[in-house]
Amino acid sequence: MTGFATRKVVRKVKKLTSMLHRESGIECCEEPTKYLFIGNAGLTTGLQRECLVPHFTKYGIVDDVVMIPVPTVENKDWHNGPPGSVVLENFVNETEEEILLHCIDWGTSDSGQHLKHRRVIHYGYEFQYHNNNINKDEPLKDKIPEECSVLFDRLKQMGYITSCPDQLTINQYLPGQGIPPHIDTHSACEGTILSLSLGSSVIMEFKHRDGQSMSLLLPQRSMLIMSGEARYAWSHGITPRKTDIMPCPGGGLSVQNRGVRTSFTFRWTRKDKCICSYHLECDSYNEKESSEQNDAGATELEKLHVHKVYEDIAEHFSETRHKPWPNVLDFVQSFPKGSVLVDVGCGNGKYFGQNKDIYEIGCDSSWNLSSLCKDRGFQVFTCNCLALPLRNDSADACISIAVIHHLANENRRLKAVQEIVRVLRQEGMALIYVWAKNQEYNNKKSSYLKQNWHNRKSKCNKTNAHEPPVVNAEEEKSQTEKYSKFSESSSFSLPLHTNRTQFLHKDVLVPWKLKPQSQKLQTAEVRTFYRYYHVFEKQELEDLCLREKNVELVKSFYDQGNWCVIIKKK
Amino acid sequence: MKLLTHNMLTSKCMKGVTVGYPLGIVAKDIKVSETEFNSEFVSRIIPKLDWNALWKAADSIGHSGDLPQQLMEDYENNEEFLKKVHHVLLEVEIINGELVCPESGRKFPISQGIPNMLLNEDEL
Repeated sequence: MTGFATRKVVRKVKKLTSMLHRESGIECCEEPTKYLFIGNAGLTTGLQRECLVPHFTKYGIVDDVVMIPVPTVENKDWHNGPPGSVVLENFVNETEEEILLHCIDWGTSDSGQHLKHRRVIHYGYEFQYHNNNINKDEPLKDKIPEECSVLFDRLKQMGYITSCPDQLTINQYLPGQGIPPHIDTHSACEGTILSLSLGSSVIMEFKHRDGQSMSLLLPQRSMLIMSGEARYAWSHGITPRKTDIMPCPGGGLSVQNRGVRTSFTFRWTRKDKCICSYHLECDSYNEKESSEQNDAGATELEKLHVHKVYEDIAEHFSETRHKPWPNVLDFVQSFPKGSVLVDVGCGNGKYFGQNKDIYEIGCDSSWNLSSLCKDRGFQVFTCNCLALPLRNDSADACISIAVIHHLANENRRLKAVQEIVRVLRQEGMALIYVWAKNQEYNNKKSSYLKQNWHNRKSKCNKTNAHEPPVVNAEEEKSQTEKYSKFSESSSFSLPLHTNRTQFLHKDVLVPWKLKPQSQKLQTAEVRTFYRYYHVFEKQELEDLCLREKNVELVKSFYDQGNWCVIIKKK
Repeated sequence: MKLLTHNMLTSKCMKGVTVGYPLGIVAKDIKVSETEFNSEFVSRIIPKLDWNALWKAADSIGHSGDLPQQLMEDYENNEEFLKKVHHVLLEVEIINGELVCPESGRKFPISQGIPNMLLNEDEL
């Protein structure tokens, strides 16, 4: 070995031996003893004890192999899942397993499809993974295969079920494939969900909103029953991996290679609304509670929780508007010389001044924000976006970024779109951004959610679009405490959103903590303001725009926690 | 508020107003400044204007200069003309004053260069 290589090895050895000492108190020494420490491989790198033993027996008798658990697997109990979950081992024998695997016709069935991650097929009804709901309006031609009835008879005999499910989803996972954590929509199916694992074992991960997580071993040919809390309040998922760390029959841990696992998930479609007590995760419960205001109520709600708030927080809000979003910049810069662009809800004029060849006019309901915009040298006037004081067909371009989600009913949101379209010239284009209910898309968290982690890890206060920077980690912790359903400071019963977390409702009040220095008053007290938002679901913005007759949808996309459209006036 | 902006503003959004255009201007403070001239920009903006409204607005505040009341043909190549238009559109700004609805007489204040077009609940 060269000098360099030796030094590298020496450094590594030092690092690993000190880690060993730190974590277990074991000290390493230069002279050989009967104990050998392997430091550069282990459970998490896929090292199996079964491979170690034959390898070392060549050199002597191997008494024992101890796999030292790392913190992530310490104290894990793979045999118990959340309350309401039961694993029935050896539920089917090998013959029955074969029969079931063979009854699947991947080729000709109604809704066989090849998802990006794994093969899926549905019987009875289609389970839709994009919203974790069942399409009850279109029952499938193919019902649950006859071969499965033996499973229901057995479960009835054991006293676990009293009727037969009417929906089946078969998933085939190749090693390396998984399924993201999710809770089956409450209103989609009843309180019991069954999952039969064939072909291979796997570890299923359960997570609760309060942070608890559990790993449950699903042995090959076992039947998992999820009911109650396990079904309603814990998400379940399978990490896309080729191996799983799991307990050995004889004790200790090992790494198991995954085989091809085929799961049969049986559900009872729900005909009515869900009446569970797990309200926070329940769509039926929250649908009831969602507020679609009439116009009088909407006007009042917007006055109190949009207009007044922006006036009060204008300076601080403006200070936290930083990097303009690239997609918006691209749009603005795409317009030729002599174009007229209107920014509806321009705030402090964040998107102005980027294209020197066009004429830009902004409007906002907030005088204070408009004032900041004017100070920066731009044309602006105040108005309500539901009544734009602009001539028909006078603008070549329009942008409305993070505005119409502040309107408190659908009619008003539609009116805002209609006003934009009215003002556009024929062939003119508009770009609209609204906050998305789903802050995680394609398994990637939006920077809004990621900010949560950043703030825990470091003092970096990278600001994101809709939120003020969190001052420190302790403050963050207090924000994520008790989730309160109703705002004490408002006569409107709307849920209070917890900043930097996933949205649980479509209509919410989002807190804004005002930085003390920015306030006119010289008190040290931090004031919290609540802004009303209607967060949009996938497709919702598109559908809204297309309700207007002369609108053509040019582009529709998701950008950092926002649903966005580019529309053209026909 | 520049006159190019004024050219686009209307009070038609108000209840009971049919046309609401052009808005009358009462100017208390006017600021004249110099801005970069671009002939192509101006000649592309002109067809988007209501020329009559522009002239009337400029005239009402005494800043029409020798801008013709009728839009001439072939203005694209008339540099001198384009400069005059540029001046009226972009270099004259109403800082304080009012905009007046021609039908209802409703006044919209302009302060610090910002017109306040927010309507009361009964005007929507």
